[in-house]
Amino acid sequence: MTRFVVRRLAQMLVVLFAVSVLTFLIFNVIPNGDPAVRMAGKTPTESQVEAIRADWGFDDSLPVQYVTTMEKVLGGSAISYFSQLNVRDQIVEGLPRTLSLAVGAAVLWMLAGVALGLLAALRAGRLSDRLLTVLALVGVSLPVFWLGALASYYLGFKAGWFPNGGYVPLTEDPLDWAHHLVLPWTVLAILFIGFYSRVLRSNVLDTMSEDYVRTARAKGLSERQVLLRHVLRNSLIPIVTLWGLDFGAVVAGGAILTETVFDLQGVGQYAAEAVGQLDVPPVLAVTMFGAFFIVVLSTVVDIVYAILDPRIRLT
Amino acid sequence: MTSSRSFLSAVVLALAAFAAAGCGDSDDGGAEAGNSGGSMTIAQTSQPDALDPALAYTSQSWEPLWVVYTPPLTYRHAEGQEGTELIPGVAEALPEISDDGKTYSFKIREGLKYSNGKPVKASDFEHTIKRVLNLESGGTYLFEGIEGATDFIEGGDPKADITGIEADDATGEVTITLTEPDGTFSNVLATNFAGMVPASTPFENQSTKPPPGVGPYEITESVPNRQFTLSQVEGFDIPDVPKGKVDTITTRIVKSTSRQAQDVIGGKLDYMQDPPPTDLLAEIKASHSDRYKDWPTPSTYYFFLNQSIPPFDNEQAREAVNVAIDSTAIARIFGGRLKPSCNVIPSGIPGHEDPDPCPFGDPSAAGDVDEAKRLVEEAGVGGEKVTVYANNDSNRPQIGEYYTDLLNQIGFDADLKIIDGAIYFNTIGNEKTKAQTGLAAWYPDFAHPGSFLQQFDGTAIQPTNNSNYGYVNDPEINKGIADLLKEPDVATVADQWAELDRKAIEKSYLAPYGSEELTTFMSDRVDFDNCSLVHPLYGNDYTSFCLK
Amino acid sequence: MALAFGALFVALVLCALAAPLWADLAGRGPEATNVTGKIEVDGRQVDVVSLDGTPIGPQWRSEYFLGADANGRDVMVRLLYGARNSLLIGIAAALLTTILATLVGLLAGYLGRWVDAVARSALDVIWAFPVILLGVALATALAVGGLQIGPFTLEAGSTAISIAVIAVVYVPYMARPIRGEVLALREKEFVEAARAQGAGPLRTMLSELLPNLSSTIVVFAPLMVANAILLESALSFLGVGVVPPAPSWGNMIDAGVERLVTAPHLAIVPGAMLVATVLALNVLGDGVRDAFDPRSRASWGARRP
Repeated sequence: MTRFVVRRLAQMLVVLFAVSVLTFLIFNVIPNGDPAVRMAGKTPTESQVEAIRADWGFDDSLPVQYVTTMEKVLGGSAISYFSQLNVRDQIVEGLPRTLSLAVGAAVLWMLAGVALGLLAALRAGRLSDRLLTVLALVGVSLPVFWLGALASYYLGFKAGWFPNGGYVPLTEDPLDWAHHLVLPWTVLAILFIGFYSRVLRSNVLDTMSEDYVRTARAKGLSERQVLLRHVLRNSLIPIVTLWGLDFGAVVAGGAILTETVFDLQGVGQYAAEAVGQLDVPPVLAVTMFGAFFIVVLSTVVDIVYAILDPRIRLT
Repeated sequence: MTSSRSFLSAVVLALAAFAAAGCGDSDDGGAEAGNSGGSMTIAQTSQPDALDPALAYTSQSWEPLWVVYTPPLTYRHAEGQEGTELIPGVAEALPEISDDGKTYSFKIREGLKYSNGKPVKASDFEHTIKRVLNLESGGTYLFEGIEGATDFIEGGDPKADITGIEADDATGEVTITLTEPDGTFSNVLATNFAGMVPASTPFENQSTKPPPGVGPYEITESVPNRQFTLSQVEGFDIPDVPKGKVDTITTRIVKSTSRQAQDVIGGKLDYMQDPPPTDLLAEIKASHSDRYKDWPTPSTYYFFLNQSIPPFDNEQAREAVNVAIDSTAIARIFGGRLKPSCNVIPSGIPGHEDPDPCPFGDPSAAGDVDEAKRLVEEAGVGGEKVTVYANNDSNRPQIGEYYTDLLNQIGFDADLKIIDGAIYFNTIGNEKTKAQTGLAAWYPDFAHPGSFLQQFDGTAIQPTNNSNYGYVNDPEINKGIADLLKEPDVATVADQWAELDRKAIEKSYLAPYGSEELTTFMSDRVDFDNCSLVHPLYGNDYTSFCLK
Repeated sequence: MALAFGALFVALVLCALAAPLWADLAGRGPEATNVTGKIEVDGRQVDVVSLDGTPIGPQWRSEYFLGADANGRDVMVRLLYGARNSLLIGIAAALLTTILATLVGLLAGYLGRWVDAVARSALDVIWAFPVILLGVALATALAVGGLQIGPFTLEAGSTAISIAVIAVVYVPYMARPIRGEVLALREKEFVEAARAQGAGPLRTMLSELLPNLSSTIVVFAPLMVANAILLESALSFLGVGVVPPAPSWGNMIDAGVERLVTAPHLAIVPGAMLVATVLALNVLGDGVRDAFDPRSRASWGARRP
């Protein structure tokens, strides 16, 4: 077990390094043109461009440039030349909002996805199953920005059931906080519910035909006990790892569309706005931190999975 | 100044034309009524270009900054013609002007303090102007006439002295010497650029930590792209400058005007700086007319035609654009909030004369696409690639799409480039961009035709932060502007300004299409009838806001 | 059911291809504005775009079948041309992804050792980024100056860049399962046999392994197209995909969202088309998976970011 963990951690470090290199390449090397000009964003004066060039070391060799970039981004000294603000501070500020969105949506899609998936599996082949399949497929096909915009307008503004976008901090007013997040949670969750319900359905059906389940039934356990103790637990394991990864992806900026549509001003929206202003440092930082978060999370998830399912450790 | 959106209230005009257009409203928007106190939340659509008075140069930033930084002179806080009257601000009285028109002197009011309690000193004035010049602000051109200013700029040393500005901290006297007489200089002393800041203010963009100023409000919080907050300043006291009625005004940056309008309707937002989107306008006019009004502005909306590069270095090519444009189509895109015209100097500013006829067809009639096609062919520029620039605020992308399609119809190979509102004017104002044509709009810096013609003054071209987007450089016009600017009384030379206007139009130095009508739309928390003063230059006056 | 939806997708593609025909019927192209025009409705002359900027709704006839947008353009025509753009980018990107993923999966799985190690790290790295964020990041980075690979230059904002960005982002999604397949196939007898007969690695990969991968590839194909189309529309919505005035369902939705009060058809129609297309592909993908490889690791439905 320890060997597995150590190996996995070592792998993680390699990937983190590679991620940082790739991010660096994406922003500073691959694109055509002068990186200092690009980073300066809104067209600045010569002296400003020179200052940026010196600050980020664009005249140095690539490895030195890489180190400088890492220092600035990881060390928290990178600033946006457009807003004059420290990038890391901005990310930290947006994080609670993104987390609020991610956690709520993740809980919702997990519960709903499992419930619907189980339902579909138990009624496999029948009309309700087919209906749920269709619903799941539709859910997975909906573009979140479209759904979000329509929901925000029709349910928010027109019907007045929900606020029209915006965010209220949890510490300020928990009820209002939740009220503002119901639509974003639902919209973001719909995407995943369809997917998760189908995965669970498939897993449940697979597990139900496994030998040990038949054995359990033969031993006289009630259908319910079989379901809960054996089938569900084994079906859930792969789901949990998926869930961890998806949650990580949402936090790491994957909710960019939902946040923008509902004006939640989280990390994703921060990146989206920077994109519009061609403001490179925030997008670079968000991308890198986001990817880091996912890598670390996926390592954790892998380790947890290995704890739950001993077979994995052997690979 | 440039405005990508609302604001910039109409500049007052000295003549009846404006009075006829805008003063039918007998309501005195700035009346005493209304409670003091409380806080308001208002919205702007994008982060103002700067919250540093030395750099701010759009209506989005001038509106809040006017009530935070007071220059030596300022304008009366009144509607219509009254609002164009210059009154003393930080200075005790209007400046004394020497006979040769080159020397201006004024005295700082005694006992005046900044919002942080520190006293205002005469030497702060030179520092304020030095910042404008040293930071390469868009307002540099206004102060280049001061003796020693160009040397200071070229020297690049912020600690150097500007020979033309003398100050005596003991007496509070400031004396400014110009190289040439300038009839607009009193107005220049009233621009936001001259908003006094302490001599300790660094030579850097201070938008995130705005310096203290003298004004009814101070900026107590500034989070770019999120919000900034104005709070009332205790002890602010300058005669004729209102103290403000609301304790705090928080401006939130909300990208979507739809959401802003919806929030104003729903009472979550008290005021929106931009007009409501076309989508909601009809509904607002119908159901919420008790808290909505629109008003004409002396603005000029046009497409700039860069004549320093092909294809618009060719006069016939430029003419073709003017012939083809249909202002009424663009008016629809504005939701009706556009008054078609074909002038540089808009209605309401001295020097405006409705040309009869407009050289390229009646602006209220459809454009002549066929004739335009012919001109393009004759000019030999058919099929040339053109990139149209537009910003992404409210209806600008649509106008850009209309214009791009029009150019394609008349024989060019046009495509559209949309740039974020916050960096648009910087982008087209940078010579490296080589923007051939695109959207532009001008609201006057002050009630003077020079403010408009200056956009077409070849001597005002700057490599960055340029406002002469067309790179127009016609010696006749340059000279005309220089001469007329010296005239202290604009009314006497109004017709000569009109001549220059005509010349610019006849040579198609630009393709104007009209003047915008702006709006005031507020939530029902606000005492709309009494507390929504519309100032001709600065738009909605924050000091007039009050809650019911 | 899958076949029905497959047919639906093919029908959509055909409609998209027929866009110019419809444009002729409707009398205008996708970017032709008509802000001050009038058409006849019930015997009266009606403004295509009213004086306060409201466009007409669906007319259900050849001209302005689905109404006009705020610039007087024909929504149906734009929808079809938008379909062309969205489908072109989606299919091209999916194709590119397939090629790259197959290449990587094949080489990594078959050649093993360091090739595999490098490939797996690369895939892990790309996989680490949330899809939409990576797409946005790449598109932003390339937005100003474009991309230069050796002698090739891709213009900033061009379709080629969109295709490249979307293709790269989804490579790991497909490459990993393919690699898994290759690992499994490598040990089979027919591969041993080929090697015994003296076939080099290249021959083996091409003639033995590749054909056996075809079922996996086919199963993934519809899903990759669906993913690509969704990502393209998201990028266009954010302004870094297809930029106006060229139509794409994503940027049509972006513009339409501004007009939900007076002209809801502008946002609802392209969105519905998008959903229909992606749904058709998902159902088709499901059916294909059931037919070819019920236990495949191809996910159920297009994955979200």
